[in-house]
Amino acid sequence: MPIIVNLDVMMAKRKISSGDLAKKIDITPANLSILKTGKAKAIRFSTLEKLCEVLQCQPGDILEWRDEEEV
Amino acid sequence: MWNKTKSLQLSLLLVKVLFVFVPLLMTCVPVIAEWYDAVYGEGVGFLDGSVYWPLSITLYLAAICAMVCLYALHKLLGNIKKDEVFTPTNCKCLRIISWCCILAAIPFGLLGIWRFLSFIVALAAAFFGLILRVLKNVFEKAVELKEENDFTI
Repeated sequence: MPIIVNLDVMMAKRKISSGDLAKKIDITPANLSILKTGKAKAIRFSTLEKLCEVLQCQPGDILEWRDEEEV
Repeated sequence: MWNKTKSLQLSLLLVKVLFVFVPLLMTCVPVIAEWYDAVYGEGVGFLDGSVYWPLSITLYLAAICAMVCLYALHKLLGNIKKDEVFTPTNCKCLRIISWCCILAAIPFGLLGIWRFLSFIVALAAAFFGLILRVLKNVFEKAVELKEENDFTI
């Protein structure tokens, strides 16, 4: 999929663990793992909003579009 | 009080009963065919004469299809009991059942050469197979939607 989830990069920048982030945005660690590994098929605006709020970033910092050939 | 669990258990029980009943019926096929031949010996069809062998073969083939269907049904109900409803395995079970119905229609259709009445059974089996095929298509779509829903975070 040409949409890349850079959540792990942002988490490393903010020095936050998966468990803490999952707790703060109120999703299960399993679902956070799906998001981090790029297995997710879609992301709810509410989840994205919480992620941006906790990580203090813009949606563009978490999601990135790349040309399919590049990927 | 009647509830969903009891309904599922009843379905499972019926499948298990048929699992025993169908092989028992298979052992009685020669007797059934002989009885049919004696009682309805003068039937209408393209070919005249005894239907002992055509009917016996048809019933054996139908029983094999029924056994495969029952196995698939047992697996399907077992998965439903485990709360695994919209899964590719269940789609496969429905596909097997659908094909069994269609395959069972073939010998009954051939039996129609001797007895036209058998065409009705063949048509009913084929129609049932078609309905199940559509149901399988619905299930496949549901599996796709569920997967999309499960992977929406």
